[in-house]
Amino acid sequence: MELNPCLKHKLLRKTVREFAEGVLGPIAAEIDHEARFPWEAVEKMRALQYFGLQAPLDLGGAGLDTISYAVVVEELSRVSAGVGLCVSVHNSVALYPLLRFGNSEQIKRLAPDLCSGKRIGAFCLTEANAGSDASGVETMAVALRPVGGQDYLINGTKIFVTNGGVCGLALIFAVTEPGANQRAASVFLVESERPGFQVGEIEELAGMRCNPVSSLFLEDCRVPAANLLGRPGDGLKIGLTALDTGRLGIAAQALGLAQGALEAALRYAKERQQFGRAIAGFQTIQNYLADMATEVEAGRLLLYRACSLKDAGRPFTVEAAMAKLFCSRVAREVTNLAVQIHGGCGYSKEYEVERLYRDAKVTEIYEGTSEIQRLVIARGLLSQPGGRPVSS
Amino acid sequence: MNTVVLIKQVPQAAELPWDSRTGRLKREASEGMMNPACKHALEAGLRIKERHGGTVMAVSMGPPEAEEVLREALALGADQAVLLCDPRLAGADTLATSYTLARAVERVCPDFDLVLLGCHTTDSETGQVGPQMAEELDLPAVCDAEDIQIQGKRLTARRVSDGFLETLELTLPALLTVTTQEFTPRDTPLGGVERAFAQAQVRVLDAEALGADSSRMGAAGSAGSMLRVYSPTAQKKGVLLKGAVKKNVQDLLDRYGDRLGGLIRKDLGLEG
Repeated sequence: MELNPCLKHKLLRKTVREFAEGVLGPIAAEIDHEARFPWEAVEKMRALQYFGLQAPLDLGGAGLDTISYAVVVEELSRVSAGVGLCVSVHNSVALYPLLRFGNSEQIKRLAPDLCSGKRIGAFCLTEANAGSDASGVETMAVALRPVGGQDYLINGTKIFVTNGGVCGLALIFAVTEPGANQRAASVFLVESERPGFQVGEIEELAGMRCNPVSSLFLEDCRVPAANLLGRPGDGLKIGLTALDTGRLGIAAQALGLAQGALEAALRYAKERQQFGRAIAGFQTIQNYLADMATEVEAGRLLLYRACSLKDAGRPFTVEAAMAKLFCSRVAREVTNLAVQIHGGCGYSKEYEVERLYRDAKVTEIYEGTSEIQRLVIARGLLSQPGGRPVSS
Repeated sequence: MNTVVLIKQVPQAAELPWDSRTGRLKREASEGMMNPACKHALEAGLRIKERHGGTVMAVSMGPPEAEEVLREALALGADQAVLLCDPRLAGADTLATSYTLARAVERVCPDFDLVLLGCHTTDSETGQVGPQMAEELDLPAVCDAEDIQIQGKRLTARRVSDGFLETLELTLPALLTVTTQEFTPRDTPLGGVERAFAQAQVRVLDAEALGADSSRMGAAGSAGSMLRVYSPTAQKKGVLLKGAVKKNVQDLLDRYGDRLGGLIRKDLGLEG
C-alpha cells in the first residue's frame, strides 16, 4: 500500500500551486469582493488544460488520473475556492459524464470544446422542488412527434447552477415522459446559444462569490435527439455516477480551503504578539493548530484513498461520500478555528480567512448535503453482509 | 537545431542550514526546485526549437531527487532528459563540474548545435560553470545573453555588460548563458506533466558511463575545497563617544575612517 505521493503528484502539486499563487493569488480577494468571474485567469487555464483534467490527450485533455484531479482542485481552492469550484464542476459533472455516457459522435462534437475550456460546463439537476430528492424534477422534454421524434422541446427552470452565468454547455435533467417517476428523467446536452436557453440573475451568495451561480430558464428550447446523453430514462444513473466523481472534487475543494486556512492561521499565530510573545507560544493556540493539521491530514488520506479506488476501477461511491462528508466538515471547522486564531482580524475582509470561512460552509451543502452523504454511506453499509463497505 | 540545456536543482528555501563540520548545505532540509536562471535557459531553448525546429535535451548532475527538475523540463517541452547521478561525482567544485558536464554533453548529444545554461545558480552564485564548459568543449561563448537570434550557422546574442549593450556574433556550435531578464518561463501545461511521466524517460548515467577521466571528476577532481563556512556575525556592542565635538569627530575618524567610502573620504579631506 503506497501512502506517499509519487513524483508525478508532487510535481503536479508544485505546478498548480505556482500557477494558483502567481495568477489567482493577487486577485482572489478582489474577485470575491466584486463577485467577478476571472476571465483573465480562465484564459490562461484554458491553455494549460485545466478544463480537460482527466480527458484523453488526443481530445486535448491532460490525461490525468483521479488523484491528480483531486490535487489540482485542492491547490486551486487553497488560493481561490470559487475558481476551484468552476474547475471541479466542469470536469466532474459535465465533461466526465459526457465522456462516460456519450456516444462517439457526441464526444467528437462536444468534448474538444469542453477540454479546451472554450465551453464551460454546468450540471443542472436542482430545481425549486428537486435537489436532494432527484425524483422531483419538473423540467419537461417533449418529443416532437410530427418531425419523427428527432427533436425535443424543453421547458423548465433550474436553480443554483454553478458556472451558470458562464456556461457554454449545460447538462439538463428533464422528464421525458409526462407523469412518469424520476426513472424517466433524461439528460440533455444543451449548448447555451440555443434559442430558448436563458441565464437568470447571478445569485448573491455568502461564499464562492467569483463563481456566477445562477438560474437557467428553458423556454421552448429545441434540442435534437442527438443531444440526448445515454438513453431516455438514464437520468438517475448518469446523475448518480457524475455526482460520485463530483464529490471527490468537492472534497478536494474543501480540503484546499482547510489547508489554506491552516497555513494562514500558522502564519498569523507566529506574527501576532500578545503578552509579550507570539500567540503561537500559547498552548491553547498550539492545540488548535495541532487539531487543524491532524484533521486536514486525515481528510487528505480519506480523499486520496477514494480517488485511488476509482483509478483502480473499483467501487468508490461510499468512500467518495465519506471523503466529502469528512472534508467538508473539516473545512468548516478549520476555517472557523482559523478565524478564531485571527481574533478580530479574522472577521475583517482585510484577512483571507474571512473569505475562506464564508466559502467553506457550502461544501456541506452542494453536490449532496452532508445528510445525503450519510444516507449514501449508510445504504452502502447496510447493503453489505457484515456491514463493511466493499473496499475494506 | 539540437540544443542541450544544463539544469540544476537548487534548494527552494532562501536560507538553508548547513553542516558546520563539512561546510555543505543540508539540502534535505528544503524542497528542491529548478534553478531560476536554468528555467530561463530552458525557455530560450524551447523558443529556439519552436522557431527553428530540432530538439531540446535537458541534462542535470545531482542526487536521485534531481529527477524532479528533469521531469519538469520534460513537462515544459524538452524532448529528452539525462541525469548524471553517482556518489563519485559529489563534492565537485566548478572546475570538476564543468569538466564532467562537458564530457556528458559530448557523450549524450554529440551532434549538438547549442549549449545553454543559466548565468548562475541561486545556491552557489559562482557563474563559472558556463564559461568553463565552453573552454572544455572549445566553443565560442557569450555569458548573460538576453536576446538570441539564429540564421543558419550564425548566432547573434545581445547582452548588457557594464551598462553597455553589446551585440556579439558567434558561429555554431556555441555556448550561451542566459540571465533571468528575458525568456520568462512559460507555465507548465497539466498534460505536459502527464506526458513527462507516461511517455518520456529520464536516462540515468553514472560516472563510468561518461568514459571520462575519473581523476578530474567529483571531489577528487576539484582544485578548490571549502575550508570553512560561517555566518558573518554582527557586533552588537554600542560605542559611546563622550566629550567635545571636535575630539569626538577626530576619534570617530580614527576608529572608522578606513571604512568610509571614497567620496566621503574626499569630502573630509582624507584623500588627496
